[in-house]
Formats: sequence, structure tokens, C-alpha cells
Amino acid sequence: MKEPTDDTSTGLPWPKRWGGVYGLVMGVFVVWVALLSLLSRLFP
Amino acid sequence: MNALDYVILVGSMMGIAAYAVWNTRGKRDLRGYLKGSGETRWLTIGLSVMATQASAITFLSTPGQGYESGLGFVQNYFGAPFALVIIAVVFLPLYRKLNVYTAYEYLGHRFDSKTRLLGAGLFLIQRGLAAGITIYAPAIVLSTVMGWRLDATIVCSGLLVVIYTVTGGCDAVNLTQKYQIGVIFAGMVAAFFVLLARMPAGLSFGDALTLAGGFHKLEAVDFSMNPDRRYTFWSGTLGGMFLALSYFGTDQSQVQRYLSGASMRESRLGLMFNAVFKIPMQFFILLLGVLIFVFYQFERPPVYFNKTAWSLQAEHDKGGKLRSLDSAFTLAHAAERRQVEDWLGARRAGDARAEAAARQGALSAQERVEAVRAETRAALDAAAPGTKANDSDYVFITFILDHLPHGLIGLLVTAFFAAALSSKSGELNALGSTTTVDIYRHIVRREASDAHYVVASKVFTAFWGLVAIGFALFANLAENLIQAVNILGSIFYGVMLGLFLLAFFFKRVKGTAVFWAAIAAQALVFVLYSTLSISYLWYNVIGCAACILLSLLLEAALGPRGARRAPAP
Repeated sequence: MKEPTDDTSTGLPWPKRWGGVYGLVMGVFVVWVALLSLLSRLFP
Repeated sequence: MNALDYVILVGSMMGIAAYAVWNTRGKRDLRGYLKGSGETRWLTIGLSVMATQASAITFLSTPGQGYESGLGFVQNYFGAPFALVIIAVVFLPLYRKLNVYTAYEYLGHRFDSKTRLLGAGLFLIQRGLAAGITIYAPAIVLSTVMGWRLDATIVCSGLLVVIYTVTGGCDAVNLTQKYQIGVIFAGMVAAFFVLLARMPAGLSFGDALTLAGGFHKLEAVDFSMNPDRRYTFWSGTLGGMFLALSYFGTDQSQVQRYLSGASMRESRLGLMFNAVFKIPMQFFILLLGVLIFVFYQFERPPVYFNKTAWSLQAEHDKGGKLRSLDSAFTLAHAAERRQVEDWLGARRAGDARAEAAARQGALSAQERVEAVRAETRAALDAAAPGTKANDSDYVFITFILDHLPHGLIGLLVTAFFAAALSSKSGELNALGSTTTVDIYRHIVRREASDAHYVVASKVFTAFWGLVAIGFALFANLAENLIQAVNILGSIFYGVMLGLFLLAFFFKRVKGTAVFWAAIAAQALVFVLYSTLSISYLWYNVIGCAACILLSLLLEAALGPRGARRAPAP
């Protein structure tokens, strides 16, 4: 079987694929924007 | 500052620098000197990338931005996660595949020698100037409030960073940055908790946020499409993405950090670390400034935070204008404080109508406070026209010196110097590498031993260090310091990014078309910057788009003549 390479495997327990890491980063960004918007709505 | 503060400052700075010099002794080959030992792990890379970007200006000036304008500046960083993902997917694999020392070497591989030199030249001009600001910015603020000599502050901090960067190269930079950012975080977190502890008794964190929100300081996200507004979600995400793409992807001071990774995995994770933590870090620093604003609702702040400039003019205040402004400020602040206390009282009593009335009263009182401040600034400007520094840069350091205990003052001042040195060392390391690899080895002396190039690299690093110190000694900045750095970057980065995007994605475009298009696009950005008043972040988009479009047009016009490949770099 082909060994996972740096290019495909993150070597992390989760996410194992780079696509998952990038998705996670984008998800964190969306959460941050939502939280910042919520902050200004909670304390207008 | 007392003796304890000075012991912390001098001990930490010298200790970290000495440790780096000792730990990196014996690095004698060019690869080790410019790219490190090749064993750097992702956390070190992540912290190093963060430390290179977050200079002392970030930590001194950003709380002042929060104090004056609230959280809106955080939007400037919204484009960073997108940019860092693109760099991890597209830029990084190409740099690693070609095993380049500098990003501009890649331009040589893809286009030709002159385009490589143009990229390196744009970087050297922009980063050489920015390195001067990096060292000047904390020095002007710290020397003013501490009563130190500005030139001595610039020379001492400048020489320390030059010594360890020249001695240890890339590994010394990465190593010192790791410890320096630890000192910075420790200082900022400690300041945050002491600030909360110093708030008036009975004022909860929720009350503090309510007051901040009432004064419009928590408006973090603005979805309006008005291009004249400096920070919006769109300018921050799109313009900020171009700025971050250009800065992290093409600025050698950053490229050198992640190319030192032990593997692609380590480099990528280091970049993703920044993609996740950049926005929260900036938010935290801005929030610190917003909470200082709330703190000063209950504690009279100085009418002008730059107390040294104030005292200097107050001594010659013949008509008593400044004294009367100071008295007017005391009255205006006392009136505002009463309104704020009424507001909180009504809020606790659950009286919505009284709360709304008191809030309106507090906003009106705040307008009066700001009017007195503006009058004071005008009076000081009239008395000393050469004084241009933005008073908001002095907010955080004034709070630290007036309200934090000794020991912590030392830690915070150490943090500012650590931040100054960490970004400066990354910049010098990159300036030295680019001059050696893209100019000296490429044009002046093509065949020489590794040892020769290591010596050359050290000489060039020292040279740029001295240039930065010289620039800092003669600098005089009008803008808020952190904006000055971003504006400078935005003027050059768009075209630089255009060069790299053409290299990555437009395979049929050749060097000659790209070279002339880049020069024309850069000229266009200069003209637009001097004639328009749009948010500076848009110049990243304009410069990049102009470079790409003009290249495509020129390539079409030049046809087969332009398609002839220039000699290999």
C-alpha cells in the first residue's frame, strides 16, 4: 500500500486530510464573524 | 519604571538574545544560515510567522485604535485565513518543489532574470522602509513616555537585533521569536486581568461591555458597501485577503519563516496556526483598548496622552490656553462620569426609560470630552507644528505606567521591545537573504564558496540593519503607526502579488510582458494613491488586477516576440 505523504496526510488524529484542515479553518472564520456580529447585537 | 522593571527588561532582552547566539553557534553553510537547520516544527513556525507580523506597533498602537474607534479594525484581518489557505495549497508546494531560498528566485525560474530582480527590488524598497518604521515606532513612543533619548533607544534596540540576527541567521530568528512571543502574550494577558481588577467595584464584565456597546465601541463587523469607509467586512475580507496573500505569500520575511519547516506538513500547520489565531489575537488586543476606554470613564484620563509633548508646551503656555483646556476637560469628564453612573444605576434598577436618557446624556457628554480633546490637539499643533505623532499611540503605554504595578510595567515594556525585535529580526534576515541570493549571487558573484556567501549574507544583514536604524533616526510619521505600515505595504504588495499570481496561474504569459506591466501597474498605484481617498486596502486589489490585466494585454500585443524566453536565471 502506498505510504501517506506530506501532501495528502496531515499526520493529525483529526482531520486526517488537508481538505479537512482547510474546511476547519474556514469554519472557525465563520464562527468568529458570527460571534463578533453577535457581540455588537448583544451590546448595541 | 523602577529598578525591578529595568532588571526584567534588560535581563529578558539580553538573555533571549544571548541564548539564541549561543544555541546557533557553528552554523556555517548557506542553507543552514538562510533556511535554518531544517528541523523546525509547526508550532515554532506558527509562532515565528505570528511574531514577524505582530511588531511592537501592533501591541502599542492597536489598543489605542480600540480606545478611539472600537473593534472595527479587526475586519482588516478577515482576509488572512483565506490567504493562508491559498498559500498552503498553491504557493508553498511550488516553493518547496523548486527548493528556493527566496520567493523571488521562483520568479526567475518561471519568468526571467529581470522579473526576478524587479520582485526582489520591490521587496527591498518596501521592506527596507518598513524595517525603519518597525524600529522607529516603539522607540518614539517609549522614549517619549520614559524620558529616554530617542536616538539612544533606536540605536540600542537596533544594534541588539542586528547582532543576534547576523550571528545566528534563520535559526536564531526562529528561536528568539518563540520566546519573545511568549513574553508578549504573558504581558498582554496580565495587563488584561489587571485592567479588569482595576475597574470600579461592582462593575461586572457585562456592565463594561454594555458601556462599551453604548459608546459604539463594539461595532466589529460593518457589512456596508461604502468604499470610503476604511474598515468594512468587504474591504477587510477582499482587500485584506489580497494584502495577506501578498504579505504572507510573497514577502520574503514571511516566506523564509515557513520555508524553514522540517517538512511540508510542518510548514502548512504553522500557516494554519496563524489562519486560526490571527483574528482572535487582534480582537483581544482591540478589546483591551475598548476596556481601557471604559476604565477611563471612571478615572480621569489625561487630556492629551502624550504627556511629554503636553508638558513641554504647557511650560510655555503664556496665555493659559492649555491650562484652561485642561480645566474644561476635567469638568467635561466629571459630567460624563455622572451620566455613566446614572446610566448604570438605571440599568440595575431595570428602568429602561431612565437608562436610555442617561445613555443619551453620556453620549452628549462624550462629545464634549472629544471636542475639548480636539481643541487641545489643535492648540498643541499650533504651538509645535512639527509634532505629528498620533495621540492614540500613547493610550496603552500611559495606562500601563499610570495604573499597573511595578514588575508588570517591566514585563509590558519588555513585551513591546520583544515584539519590536522579533519582527525586525525576521525582516533583516529576509533583507539579507534577498540581497545575497537575488542580487549578489545572481549578478555580482555567481561562483563562490558557501562560506563566502554566508559572510556576504552577514554583511548584507548588518547593512540593512544599519539602514533601518538610520531611517528610524530621521523618521517623522504623521499617521497612526500601525496604519503607516499597512499603507506602505498596500502600495507595493498589490503589484507584487500580481507578479506571483501570473507566475502560478497564467502559463502563457512571459517575462517581458510581466516586467513592463508590473512597472506600469506600480506607477498607476502611486498616481491613484496621491489622487484618491479610498481605503488603502483597495490598492492591493487595484495593483494586483492592473498588473495581471496589463500583462495579458502586453503579452497579446508582443505576440511571438515577447514569447521568446529570456536566458535562464
